[in-house]
Amino acid sequence: MSTYVVRRALLIPPVLVGVVTITFVLFAALPVQYQLTAHFGSPTVKQRCGYQPSCSCATLNPASIVGNNCTCISPPTNTTRAGICANPVYQEYVNKLGLDKPIPEQWAQYIYRSFTFQWGTVSNHSTVATVYPVLKGVPVTTAVEWELPYTMELAALSLLIILGVSIPLGNLSAVNRNRPVDQISRVISFSGYALPAFLLGSFMVAGIVLLFLPHTGFLVKGPWCPGGEPLDEEITYSMPQALACYPGLAVGGTYPAWVANGVHSTPTGVYTLDALVHGNDWLAADSLVRILLPALLIAYGAIAGLLRFVRNSMLEVMNLDFIRTARAGGVPESVVTSRHAGRNSLNVTVTVLGLTFAAFLGGFPVIEDVFHLNGIGEMLAIAANPNPGLDFGVIFGTTILFTFIIVIANLIVDVLYAFLDPRVRLG
Amino acid sequence: MSTSVLVPRRRGPKPHPRIAQAKRTWYLLRRNKLALVGLGIILMIAGIAVYSATLPLPWSNVPIWCATDYGPQNSQSGSPGNFTQDCPTTAPIICTYEVTPPPNAARFCNGLWYPDIVRSNISFASIIAPTLSVSPLSFGPMPLGGLATSSGSRTPIYDVYTSLLRGSDWSLMFSVSIVGLGALVGLLVGAIAGFYGGILDETLMRIVDVFLSIPTILFVIVVVAVLSVDIPSGAGSTVIIKIVAMILGFTIVWWPFYARIVRGQVLTVREQKYVEAARASGARQRRILLRHIVPNSVFPVFIQFSLDVGTIPLLIGSLVFLGFGSLLFPSTPFPEWGSISAVSVSDLQLDFLTSCYTAATGCVIPWWQLLFPGLALFFFAISVNLLSDGLRDALDPRLRR
Repeated sequence: MSTYVVRRALLIPPVLVGVVTITFVLFAALPVQYQLTAHFGSPTVKQRCGYQPSCSCATLNPASIVGNNCTCISPPTNTTRAGICANPVYQEYVNKLGLDKPIPEQWAQYIYRSFTFQWGTVSNHSTVATVYPVLKGVPVTTAVEWELPYTMELAALSLLIILGVSIPLGNLSAVNRNRPVDQISRVISFSGYALPAFLLGSFMVAGIVLLFLPHTGFLVKGPWCPGGEPLDEEITYSMPQALACYPGLAVGGTYPAWVANGVHSTPTGVYTLDALVHGNDWLAADSLVRILLPALLIAYGAIAGLLRFVRNSMLEVMNLDFIRTARAGGVPESVVTSRHAGRNSLNVTVTVLGLTFAAFLGGFPVIEDVFHLNGIGEMLAIAANPNPGLDFGVIFGTTILFTFIIVIANLIVDVLYAFLDPRVRLG
Repeated sequence: MSTSVLVPRRRGPKPHPRIAQAKRTWYLLRRNKLALVGLGIILMIAGIAVYSATLPLPWSNVPIWCATDYGPQNSQSGSPGNFTQDCPTTAPIICTYEVTPPPNAARFCNGLWYPDIVRSNISFASIIAPTLSVSPLSFGPMPLGGLATSSGSRTPIYDVYTSLLRGSDWSLMFSVSIVGLGALVGLLVGAIAGFYGGILDETLMRIVDVFLSIPTILFVIVVVAVLSVDIPSGAGSTVIIKIVAMILGFTIVWWPFYARIVRGQVLTVREQKYVEAARASGARQRRILLRHIVPNSVFPVFIQFSLDVGTIPLLIGSLVFLGFGSLLFPSTPFPEWGSISAVSVSDLQLDFLTSCYTAATGCVIPWWQLLFPGLALFFFAISVNLLSDGLRDALDPRLRR
């Protein structure tokens, strides 16, 4: 078993390097200014010309314009055109990022940076900085560190739902082939495939709002909120903003001490756990309820893909000889389906889950955006909002993060698979 | 239970084996009623697309956008009765030839907003053949559109009925071209990897592994974002460049799935007797690959193809919902089903609902804007899914028991 794990783990570095290479190709295709912004963050006030290669002297120093000629006072004296000279900091930053080096060396540096978690800086002028002012100008890894636990909480809950529903339902529909249970599972699987998550999620949100809003003022500004106003003017399902609205937890619209600026809670970062740690059971339950609906929605899409596989593999196994032997030997039918055949469907579930894990994680931006959850997915979604400006630091950082997670998850799936199926680890 | 005799025996010369296989598949598919329903819906959508693209041509110049014009926007500050004089009864229709939609003003009068109804005429036909024209239907009956009673909403209202008709050809074109290109590239790569084997196979498959470990939607976002920076926006970028860039962006993401499927199939086909026979009779490698291996490995591709075609509008819808409409399309909202439904959904955002409750006159939730694009997406996806399920049953003998 351990040799298998080691052998499988040795395959990871090349895949990781490959993944980072793809992101490097895309990154290198960006204009230089975007690359610099992605890595160093938005230019500071002192860098008046930003990351532009050239600079009009009026921007740099109005006094330096003599007639039509530009004589910049600070370092460069190389006047290229009347009124325009080379940006003094441009070359410095280009050198710092290694953009003047040949492409292979840039590639090596990019890989080094990716593996040492230098994923860039959150831009000052993107939607991320507007929505989360605390994250303005911080390294992408910090932003990721603050937002990841929420996504992981959501992922864990939806994985639980996926496994808890698809295996029993798939087995049931195989055992009761073409009976009502099978038809129901068929409907679930087809509709989950064909209904877009953003549409369904929006209907859910609208439903909740329509149910609760007129009657209680729950989830919205009203008697629940100290001062009558939540910190975020939008109705939100995310924990921290909601926290600010509960009397006794937040005073005057500020967060409890263990929630930093509406983004990060201590010690674990998972709101449910943190609320438990701080002895607030009601809040923990509430936080769980809030992610229940998004988790259900994510699970619905994944279950749709999984159900048919579980059912079909179960059907195949039910025709094999050892099942007939077990039945002939007088093993009760329930034991045959659960132990003999059911074990096999577990293998299939794990395999297909591994194959569709990328799609599973890919669903998070939409879901988190629909429900206004503070997770990685939403951060990516708002970072890639073209309106105020794309935040390539966050985009590439989250891409690398997602691919790292998927590669590791595939390793775990393969090890699990080997654990479940002796043929794999021995063969 | 046994289906040993699949096609009734006929006299006469034996048909070509591949034709016989197609006939057998069709026979098996015909027995699956759900698959036939799926096929029927797809054919109907294709019919609508063809119909909306090739209607008679009354004009030689095609305006891209048309909108009702209620005049410039006025403020809501005055008391509702003040605007009785300005209250429009019928609005003239103005059309533009610009790529960007006309400004969407709304007039407030008698306590109601009268938003301009914008209709997009960017039809597939008008792009590929500028002399073709829009269908008369775009100004025809409008049973589903119109939202003049919602006092909270000042967003432009898109005529659902005509947009959906317009969208059918774009949706089909995007779906088929993206998945088709992806399948083509994947087919080539997978066939070469599976057929030649060795170090080439290893290298190509590791590349496929790498591509597969990036989530599709994320990959599309990154590719399209990077492409959008490189494409100069504004006057220089035409409709076609943007659409081609989008299709290419999707294709980069899509081919690895097919490469893996095809390679697996080629590995089994490679060992078949007829390949051996071809080799023994002196056929060259390339001929074996193109004439024997590839045609016999395409059936799983068909299944996956029909499954994927339905997901493209959903994916595009998700991307537009996330705010990438302006990156993906030359104009937003673009008459494509995913795009239309995403735009309609963003109308149903929370601020709209809250303003619904605070509005004194109450408001109508535009359910038709959500329902009908959603239904279009749903029926398209579910029909291709049913068809691919039927195809799988027909093509995979193991599932026929």
